[in-house]
Amino acid sequence: MTVIINPEGVADPKASPAGTRATLRRNFWRGVWRVLRRKPSRMAGVAIIAVFVLMGIVGPLLYPANLPRDDNALYAPPSLAHPLGTDFEGTDVLALIVTGARYVLLTGFATAVITVTVGTAIGLFAGFRRGRWDTLLMRITDVNLAIPGLPLLLVLSTVWKFTGPLQMGLVLGLLGWGGIARAVRSQTLSLRERGFIEAARGLGLPTTHIIGRELLPGMAPYIAMNMLIAVTGAVYAQVGLFFLGVLPFESNNWGVMLNLAVFNGGALTTPAALPYLLAPLMAILLLTLGIVLIVDAMDEIFNPRLREE
Amino acid sequence: MKRLAAIAALASIATATACGGAGTSDSAGGGVYTTIDGSKQINASAPINPFNPVGSVFSGYNGMALAWPKNDPIDPNQFYPALASSWTVAPDRSAVVIHLQPGARWSDGEPVTSDDVRVSIGLAYTQGGTAFALDPKAAGAAADVQVVDAKTIKVTQGANRSATFLSNLLQTVVVPAHVYGRLLPADFWRTLKTAQTGTGAAADQAKSRITGLAEKVIAFAPAHDVSAGPFVLERVNPGAALLRRNPYFFNGRAIAPDKVKLLNYTGNEQIWNYLISGQLDNAPFTSVPTAVMDRIEHASGNHVVKGYSPVSTAMAFDQARKPYDNVHVRRALAYLIDRSQVTRIASPEGGTPAATISGIHAKAARAWLGSSFDALEPYKVDPAKAAAELRAAGMTWRGGRWAMPDGSPWKVRISVPASFSDWVAAAKSISSQLVDHGIDASVVTAADYTLYLSELAAGKYDIGFWLVGLGPSPYNIFQRLFGQANGWQMFGGRLTHVPPGKDGNWMGGPQYVDAGPDGRVDPGALTAKLNFVSPQEQKRIVGVLAGIANRQVPVIQLWDYVNTQFVNTSRYTAFPPDDDQSLRLSSGVWMQLGMIKKRQS
Repeated sequence: MTVIINPEGVADPKASPAGTRATLRRNFWRGVWRVLRRKPSRMAGVAIIAVFVLMGIVGPLLYPANLPRDDNALYAPPSLAHPLGTDFEGTDVLALIVTGARYVLLTGFATAVITVTVGTAIGLFAGFRRGRWDTLLMRITDVNLAIPGLPLLLVLSTVWKFTGPLQMGLVLGLLGWGGIARAVRSQTLSLRERGFIEAARGLGLPTTHIIGRELLPGMAPYIAMNMLIAVTGAVYAQVGLFFLGVLPFESNNWGVMLNLAVFNGGALTTPAALPYLLAPLMAILLLTLGIVLIVDAMDEIFNPRLREE
Repeated sequence: MKRLAAIAALASIATATACGGAGTSDSAGGGVYTTIDGSKQINASAPINPFNPVGSVFSGYNGMALAWPKNDPIDPNQFYPALASSWTVAPDRSAVVIHLQPGARWSDGEPVTSDDVRVSIGLAYTQGGTAFALDPKAAGAAADVQVVDAKTIKVTQGANRSATFLSNLLQTVVVPAHVYGRLLPADFWRTLKTAQTGTGAAADQAKSRITGLAEKVIAFAPAHDVSAGPFVLERVNPGAALLRRNPYFFNGRAIAPDKVKLLNYTGNEQIWNYLISGQLDNAPFTSVPTAVMDRIEHASGNHVVKGYSPVSTAMAFDQARKPYDNVHVRRALAYLIDRSQVTRIASPEGGTPAATISGIHAKAARAWLGSSFDALEPYKVDPAKAAAELRAAGMTWRGGRWAMPDGSPWKVRISVPASFSDWVAAAKSISSQLVDHGIDASVVTAADYTLYLSELAAGKYDIGFWLVGLGPSPYNIFQRLFGQANGWQMFGGRLTHVPPGKDGNWMGGPQYVDAGPDGRVDPGALTAKLNFVSPQEQKRIVGVLAGIANRQVPVIQLWDYVNTQFVNTSRYTAFPPDDDQSLRLSSGVWMQLGMIKKRQS
């Protein structure tokens, strides 16, 4: 008699659906952990993002609402009291970076969610439906791709004050979904001709089921990676706009810090205000690095061909 | 003392050199004088036309006026001669007779004549302006231009005479009639007369014909530069404009450099880098952070020259908005702002903290007010007085914060243009200080200065930064507080007051205020009077208006600007000393006045 041992990861056909899902989830996270551990850089990426998320959530709680100033330490160099120096009015630069992280991350997150949601929905619908819907939605996508984002934002800033990160994220997201829509449509056009989709159609499954349960899971890794990359784009865009001075003043915004370091402190001319310039630059660099390292890990998690078992 | 002695010695050397027969374009070894034009950036495609705002005509070099204004704190009629060698004013200010430099010639050898001045005035009418307004009732408008002889011209003022007529007239830019004359139609002067003295449709038509010439004048592009100044434009590219010496300049002996190079810049940072690398022989006023100033001063040959600058930065209220309609609130804020700290943060090298609130730069204020300047309330930081003022205004203290009389939150929003980093820093410093005292304050930025001014004029801001004390004319000083922005408008010589929110009245102050011992007065009417009254009466009115500004606090004066200039004595010497009356003029004017000599090795 042959005894068959249920190998790890193979669902027992008799097991309940909930139990199957739990097993799959458990196996997925084990796989994630293996992929992350394989390269220390990926762990570093997760740690960096965890620190930034923590900064965004609890950072403002670590400092008083009105950050303390030292009137006698304007543009002070780094010291034990001020590890990243001080700004033009003697405020600790580290405190500015920590308390400013929430705005940057919220904007990035909002932008990413809107970009991915709108882009994916339009791409899926256009690719699956084809015909007139595809033509119409792709022309709209073309228009979106043709809009020069930065000049439009500069003009918009004269009439709209962008008072919060969600407003900022909404505008950046609505300007940036075109690329994802195009890519998702291409993938949908390819997948919809595959056998499993044909089979689903043949079984008479509803369109929402085919799109939501058959097509979307296959593209989820790609969409997730795009979402993370959209965060970096949003960070650059909003910091750039703040640097140009076209958005409302927030002294702890990283772009405002860059602006004041260059134009008020002369950081590109003398080293006195250099820490004030470098601190937000390093923060942006680290945040981007963290995202890139996680994207590297995600690539392997979702793409079996890259797995180095 | 040492510096003055050195300048005197160099001046004597310069005189000896001058006597040695310099003054032609061939005087070898004059070198290239490098500087920037503080008033505009270089535009390689702009015409060589002074009426074009970006034109390649640079004041004092290839652009000449009748005279150059001195930096006098109180007298706007102090001038250095330029193309006008002298001038006489009728005792009743009704007319000015101008005598041109006898040896003045254009760079093509043609003499500078009264006809050139007449054509220049005609062209100035097409652009509008105080002295050349088409409305004959406008204060200080010229009514008649009469050529007396080839070198003498008489300009008569209209019936609504202004004390600044001479000043506005002498600053007229002069262009060659044989180049620009064709821009004026043959019947121009007759049309002008109709516009000024006619009535009804004929006058309106004449006015529109003249103003219709404006675009044509601005767009005019002469094939080459014809200059009466010490230099002529040789070439211009996006990086710099190069000017060579004008061989026919009437005072060529005074000019040391063979050429002048005006470097282009897009922001202060470029000027800082030019200065640090020692490229510039002079840079006019440039806002500079302390650390950058240190580096500039350490560059070989660089020196800082400081002088009076008749400008102050202030924080202005929209007095039509609550709670700023209440003088106690405005005073309370004045008692809470540490102006020294604000100045240290925002303009450490280019400003001095305002001694008090008077609407006038401290130096001019002392000259106008004498000892009574010290009697003004200084508004030193005093939280106790501020709290008393806020209580007097009915403001309430709730949960560690000041609130409106009805208990609703009081949010102080200070607006500044984002492109003015010193103002942004100042506004942030003020908001931080107010927050320290329990006032919910924050900074709001406008994307650019044009947008800022339009939103300010539209009454969109509670509080905005505003330049005041724009002397030396006392009228110009106080019209910043009690002028168009505060509801007083002059139409056809008649002063009217429009309600807040209308026609650019964003300061929203009351038309009549209590002036203490002077009773209830109309500050706008008093300001307008400054244009016409005698110097003694001007002094009295300035005292009254400064007192009103001090008590009513329409603005909180923050700092008075200091004209901080940079010179480099490695290649040229004999620059004007600190506080010289020529400091606000260009290097080209300094050269005309006999300053700036080649350094002798």
